[in-house]
Amino acid sequence: MSVFMDLNLSFTADKKLLQSVVETAAHLGFSTVAINYVFEPTAKKKQDIPSPTPINELIDQLPVVQGRSRPIRVLNRLTIVMSDSSHFRPNAAEYRCFDLLAVQPTTDKLFHAACMTYDVDIICISVTEKLPFFFKRAPVNGAVDRGVVFEVSYSAAIRDSTMRRYTIANAVSLMDTCKGKNVILSSAAEKPLELRGPYDITNLGLLFGLSDGDAKEAVSSTCRSVVLHAETRRTASGIISTMRSCSESSCQQEAPPAAADSEAPAAKRAKHQLPDD
Amino acid sequence: MSVDLDQTPRSLLVCDRSSFLNEKNRISSQVEQLHFNYKVSLLLPECSSAPSHLDAVFNSFNSFYLIRNMPIYELLDKHFLKTAVYQGSVYGVSYRTRIDEDNCVALMPNGHLSLSLDKDSFELLGVEGKPSRFNHRTTCRYVVCVDLTDSSMAPGGRGYQRLLTGLRSRLQLKTDFLLSHHPGGGASLQDLLSRYDWSEHRPDVSSHTLTDLSCPALQSCDLQSCDPHSLLEWIGAVDAHISCENSSSSFLSSLVCPEPKTTVSRALSVSVCGLLLPQDVHRLIQQIRYYLEQPRLESWVSLTVHGFVDSPVSWRGNEHGVLRGGENFYSLLIFHDQTYQLHLATGAHDTCPP
Repeated sequence: MSVFMDLNLSFTADKKLLQSVVETAAHLGFSTVAINYVFEPTAKKKQDIPSPTPINELIDQLPVVQGRSRPIRVLNRLTIVMSDSSHFRPNAAEYRCFDLLAVQPTTDKLFHAACMTYDVDIICISVTEKLPFFFKRAPVNGAVDRGVVFEVSYSAAIRDSTMRRYTIANAVSLMDTCKGKNVILSSAAEKPLELRGPYDITNLGLLFGLSDGDAKEAVSSTCRSVVLHAETRRTASGIISTMRSCSESSCQQEAPPAAADSEAPAAKRAKHQLPDD
Repeated sequence: MSVDLDQTPRSLLVCDRSSFLNEKNRISSQVEQLHFNYKVSLLLPECSSAPSHLDAVFNSFNSFYLIRNMPIYELLDKHFLKTAVYQGSVYGVSYRTRIDEDNCVALMPNGHLSLSLDKDSFELLGVEGKPSRFNHRTTCRYVVCVDLTDSSMAPGGRGYQRLLTGLRSRLQLKTDFLLSHHPGGGASLQDLLSRYDWSEHRPDVSSHTLTDLSCPALQSCDLQSCDPHSLLEWIGAVDAHISCENSSSSFLSSLVCPEPKTTVSRALSVSVCGLLLPQDVHRLIQQIRYYLEQPRLESWVSLTVHGFVDSPVSWRGNEHGVLRGGENFYSLLIFHDQTYQLHLATGAHDTCPP
């Protein structure tokens, strides 16, 4: 098993609130969290994709994870709520500043396209409404082969009882189709009270139809493979990556190249297609 | 589309019944084989304060040492091997490392060093190991077990050099470490301790007097008189100070004392926490036998010994893991006629206790 991760903490402009959410996550035992910027393009006016605030501006001192000696690791994530195929632009430059890329399709065709072709890490399953389409084996198996995972968020279930029904119904129908593989469970927490500990989420996974081992993996190993998949998505075959050197005055903080991540001498990294190999 | 919620994670319970006077009893080997004990809790019914000889045993438990941020290659140091590992037995387990998240290390008294590593660390270390028995779909945990007393691991040998280089330069594994030595105590470990930030700790003894406790009526001759699961639940509830009244107005606990039951006016619950050695547990058992030989109001004493949840090994060096709970403990019920009932229990990711 690997460390516990919660890959969906909603971004708020309120720094104090975000800091308390991250502190609660560290206290509960999560070693890695991802701050989620949701982007919902509408047809009416052109919106820009939000650019992530650097972590050291958001949180002054990263809290230490309870029971371990290392501080919590915070990543950036972008979720695009798609209602049209033009909403997701492959290889857009703005996506490079995010560590994780997620997509939430709202129609059947978009779901099929996202599973089979889009270069994303996570496909979100909507939990706030009845599923507008049914899951079919073919795109789901295609996504599993490519290493893309499906995400179910549980904090909507905490807030409202109707959402609870939708969450459980949608999650159970997903598990029927994907047989418990490549699933992650995360909160979409806006407040610290909406977070739950990793073992509690494992129990919640049982309600969704996952087995014991699958539910525990949904909070640990599968999340690790998503993070590795995201790292290799930005590299060439998982070995080489480029980083823009800061020459002009207006340069964004680029994410560090994946190859230089570990201090150890060159080690084999996971391949792009099968990050959990 | 309905979900099967009746299934609970697997747990194993082994029940054994014998007498201390029977020379074929296995109690001493069963106690010896759980190397890393975290907590010993004792329940003495009809007793308000601990008798002096039991107090003396608690105070004579060996102290243990906590080394902060110790690099694991120090356990392969030649001097340490000669003075501590080869003479007597060293008990060492990594502290503040979670078995299902981090890398955990255990040094057993027979000289076996067990490293439970996650995939990245194992691939970095480069030493032969086996995938964990408790991997689910993907292999993400590996176990490296080496015998430091074996000739191939003698200092200077090939296996020794490979492991040492691995721990020194490839995977610089550093954890907090709890260490204890029998029979040498701190003296044999001084050399290792002096190089790092260490502190000595005495096991923490706490006692609690309970009044009007309903206990099951336990007969020594009949193992089936009380269902082992409900008996263990009751012992655990008493130790955790959970009420077993099951009154209709309280929704906190619905645990009950198993039938048939009696009420004792007072009882003493003592618990000792720390890195406790099996030899100390043995001495405690002998003293309890001596205590029960005198005529008493109640004829039994219950002793529960818990192993470390995050230790990579449980009985006999078999691999241990945590699925949702990593319990590995045994509960010994000693009766006045020198018979005993022993219940050994583990959680899902564990092998069968002896």
